[in-house]
Amino acid sequence: MRRTLLILLFATSASAAELRDVSDPAKIRDVFPTTSKIRMVNIWATWCVPCVAEMPELRAVAKALGPDVALAGVSMDNMIPETTREKVIVFLDRQKISYINLYYRGNADDLATFFRFEGEIPVTIAFDRQGKEVWRHQGMIKSADTIAELRKLLRRMQ
Amino acid sequence: MKKLFVFLLLAGLATACFADELAVGAKAPQFSLVNAADGKTVAFKPGDGKLSVVVFTCNQCPYAKAFEPRIIELAKQYQSKGVVFYAIDPNDEAQYAVESLAEMKSRATEKGYPFPYLKDGNSAIAHAYGARVTPHVYLIDGGGTLRYRGYVDDSAKPEERRTTGLSNALDDLLGGKSVSNQTTRAFGCTIKWKS
Repeated sequence: MRRTLLILLFATSASAAELRDVSDPAKIRDVFPTTSKIRMVNIWATWCVPCVAEMPELRAVAKALGPDVALAGVSMDNMIPETTREKVIVFLDRQKISYINLYYRGNADDLATFFRFEGEIPVTIAFDRQGKEVWRHQGMIKSADTIAELRKLLRRMQ
Repeated sequence: MKKLFVFLLLAGLATACFADELAVGAKAPQFSLVNAADGKTVAFKPGDGKLSVVVFTCNQCPYAKAFEPRIIELAKQYQSKGVVFYAIDPNDEAQYAVESLAEMKSRATEKGYPFPYLKDGNSAIAHAYGARVTPHVYLIDGGGTLRYRGYVDDSAKPEERRTTGLSNALDDLLGGKSVSNQTTRAFGCTIKWKS
């Protein structure tokens, strides 16, 4: 019994991050809980140096703002021929990222056109419940600044 | 007067740091840079009568590396038609040792680059072209005018490729036509600017 409990405990703690495949950029905004007031999309890749450096900042933002702000990371790792989604899962586990994670399998240009960014990542964009863009940051975010700006937006939404 | 000078200096710096991409139809900037492969200086004088491809690339970016075989393939294919290729590494070697001349030479030799691999040591040429990422390509006609800028192809995976930006533009110009798709969105790693 004790052994079974230990195995279960290990299995739970070692569970891999959930990474959902998406090919249509328009579907990305459907992944958020309907209760969240602000929905943030962070477009990144494990091969992007500033994206990797930004991960602790994003983790801090997700932790600080709670369910009012939902965050979804959209990995563009599929652009690189030798990259696999397993590599992304290992990375997310190592970084202890628990927010929504998507593995983008579509065309990079389509994603950039849909979210209106040039070919540089990371880029982070926030939408309200109606899907209207309310905030955007090109390049690495700083958690303290982002938390303050999003709290201000949430207050305006009251 | 002093305030005006500071303002103009800051405005100049801002322009230098966030320069727009060179417009199609504009005269291409010339350059004279050291080729990492042999240490010799290579000069590009726009208007030399040759169709020229300038590719900003580097040693460290996985996306640039993913396009490397394709750029080599295109160079070999189009050099026989008189097109000249220049690869330029604009990344700051002081921050990233992998971008040093010695590392560039190793890469060029190992991969058998059929073109010079030039060091843009202070990122000035990348600024002049308005390059943002690696890889970022520019196609200049024999008169020195920019005719295409953007990606090599829209995907580094041949099986997922929908449009071939650079080769389409080359085929158009070599066929005596104007380029049908003159600008595309270059994807890649942000240039590691010299600070």
